[in-house]
Amino acid sequence: MSRSNLEILLGVILVSITTVILVVYGFNEQDRMVLESENQQAREIEVGATLFENNCTGCHGLKGEGIPGLCPPLNNKEFFTTRMKEVGWSGSLEDYIISTVAGGRVASTRPDQYVGQGNPAMPSWSDQYGGPLREDQIASIAQFIMNWESTALEEVVLEELATPTPSPEEAADPVARGQQVYLDSGCGGCHTIQGLTSGTVGPNQTNLATNAQTRIPGMSAEDYIRQSIVDPSAYIVEGFTDGIMPKNYSETLQPDQLSDLIAFLLSLK
Amino acid sequence: MLRSINFQDLRQKIYSAVDNRVRIITAGLGIHELRAVLRGDPPTEKPNPRFKVHTTSFLFHIRPRYYQQGSTILSHTFRLGFMTVFFYTVELITGVILMIYYVPTPSGAYPSIIKIMSEVPFGNLMRDLHRLGAEATVIFTFLHLLRTYFTGSYKKERSFTWFTGVILLGITLFLSFFGYLLPWDQLAYWAVTIGTSMAEAAPFVGTQLNLVLRGAPDIGAGGLLRAYLLHVILLPLLALLVLSIHYYKVSREHGISLPARFEEGDIPEEKKREAKRRIDFLPDLFSHEIYLTILGLFILLVVTLFFYGGAPLEHIANPQQTPLDTEAPWYFWWLQGMLKLGDKTIMGIIVPTLLVILLFAVPYIDRNPYRSFVKRPVAVSLGVFGVLVLILLSYMGLPIYGIEQTASTRIIQDLSPEEGEGPLREVPYEQLQQGIYIVNESPAENLCPEMDYGCPEFESFFALYTDKVNLAIDAGDLVNGDAVLVIEDWQADLKKVTMRIRWDDEESGETKTYERHVYMHRNSQVGYEIPSNMAWRALITNVAF
Repeated sequence: MSRSNLEILLGVILVSITTVILVVYGFNEQDRMVLESENQQAREIEVGATLFENNCTGCHGLKGEGIPGLCPPLNNKEFFTTRMKEVGWSGSLEDYIISTVAGGRVASTRPDQYVGQGNPAMPSWSDQYGGPLREDQIASIAQFIMNWESTALEEVVLEELATPTPSPEEAADPVARGQQVYLDSGCGGCHTIQGLTSGTVGPNQTNLATNAQTRIPGMSAEDYIRQSIVDPSAYIVEGFTDGIMPKNYSETLQPDQLSDLIAFLLSLK
Repeated sequence: MLRSINFQDLRQKIYSAVDNRVRIITAGLGIHELRAVLRGDPPTEKPNPRFKVHTTSFLFHIRPRYYQQGSTILSHTFRLGFMTVFFYTVELITGVILMIYYVPTPSGAYPSIIKIMSEVPFGNLMRDLHRLGAEATVIFTFLHLLRTYFTGSYKKERSFTWFTGVILLGITLFLSFFGYLLPWDQLAYWAVTIGTSMAEAAPFVGTQLNLVLRGAPDIGAGGLLRAYLLHVILLPLLALLVLSIHYYKVSREHGISLPARFEEGDIPEEKKREAKRRIDFLPDLFSHEIYLTILGLFILLVVTLFFYGGAPLEHIANPQQTPLDTEAPWYFWWLQGMLKLGDKTIMGIIVPTLLVILLFAVPYIDRNPYRSFVKRPVAVSLGVFGVLVLILLSYMGLPIYGIEQTASTRIIQDLSPEEGEGPLREVPYEQLQQGIYIVNESPAENLCPEMDYGCPEFESFFALYTDKVNLAIDAGDLVNGDAVLVIEDWQADLKKVTMRIRWDDEESGETKTYERHVYMHRNSQVGYEIPSNMAWRALITNVAF
């Protein structure tokens, strides 16, 4: 057999094998595409989770539980069932989320329940309206929020991670306990303490203990802080408006929580 | 009536009608002759009609009439030039298919790649072939250059062919470079940002050059469109032009060089005559080329499906977030290595430019008329030296020699890189049981007593984490270090994994913390190995049935 004939023979065999491989590949192409779509959606949710953590948790809570009186919860049954009817939205919930995140809210739609974080009630996040996020990033956040549906509707119940018992020193320290109260109550959504929180709606509290001494003449720092928490309207710091800070902390905080919180705030010299 | 039809006559008529048609299409080969060509039989007519097509047919007139027997010896050329053209053709075909779906805008590019991967039948295969083919083109172009250099085939009348070849090498590299940006993911964006910033170091025109390439101070819509147009129009047209010149010189002017031993070696006249025997293009060379094409396609497909992890796709490009590890494509590692040796302008622009000029000038500098190894010791040793330097520079350009990072960042980046797989992603989703795992405190074994079959992958991941932290503590990089791993159920099918390392910073005396939050979804594969795995599985199951 000449080389040319050998090559013709081998060529025919190889073409046949290549065709078989391609046909087999083709049969599985549909399944592969479905898997790949799921993979891409999953990656988008992961990206959205990180973006949500970096941009949204200050107001809407670490797990979308919201801050009572200020910002609405997203991981919640009403959000997934009645919210669209309430605002008269005719598109999908995902589009509603995207439009809200992109454009923000000039004024709260439910001022009696959630005042929002001031003016505007929610900033616009899209870079088309001066916000920091791109279109694709907002779409990822929407994917992440939509993924709360099954837990919000209680179809899936997730166990909370048991928080470790604090070490004896931490448990005995009212400042440490107060810091936990501060974080758990969502104070950081509006107030900044350098190195801890970064809210911009309310006054900066990085040096609160020092400032509090001189706010109201004759009033001690401790009394001023206590008054500001239980009755926020009593004194308004210059440059901020009344009525934004919830007035019900005297009811939602236990007396010992309140005193821990004050102890923590007094440590901010 | 029926009897009056002469069947023999009819057959004759049909035959001659078909034969005529075939002669018109093949520009001169009759149907019998065509059959003989395909079977490798000798010519059926006289004069040999196989020579005629080289003047009557466009496609054959650019092909050689014959090669000398000696120049077709496999160990002389390794068919490297042919394979380079083969891969260029693969790139052209797969590239045009990808172009149907690709959108060259910053907001459209990445989604269109995802669409190609997940909604276009065979789209992912086309993308993998295009990517692997591109790397193969670079490899084969370079190997072709080495072969030409070491066989001394660039000498005398072939010096201009060498010159055009070096231009083609440059075009190939630029084609890959600009194609690299098009997926618009983090990998692409930052590699090309670094690449174009090299242009900035060019003396006098640097700033302008950088601006022309990027279309703006930073790569954006303008830069992407420019890269796209260079990749799909300008550079391919240029390649076609230069390749035509390069190939014409080989096929019509000088042919492929004979191995040096037949020209200047001490071998019998008989063998020299045999080496100069003509091998006609039709049928031998032609069928050999078809065979090589089939072989190339077969190997490329098998490698793509079974041995290639898939073309990478990282997260969408984010100009605000510089990744911890950026990496140039491997064929630019030598340049990265050079940059580590010195100044950006000298090492990044001037020295490479001089080297390229030197490469162009090789046939004009080298006046030694001999071609065999032993008679050109200087050229051969310089060539070997050059290749070694290139390998060494590439090695120095490896990311391992990258920017120093603190131990904590390095550990966490190694375990769970910002992009791609990493040990954490390899742990099956089910084994990530909610809990707090403290390095050196949590038991090393039986980490998840609630799971029936245990969690071996998670345990080995945690052991790796422990090892890395302890190694850093022992090395004194993490003073009083402690490390923790927290896994939380975050949403349905979504877990949050927190890795936190705490240590005392010796300079400031403060306790520092580095932590990374990784969200992991049940369906996310991050690795790109699904298609190949599926191909394996499919092949096995289908063959089994």
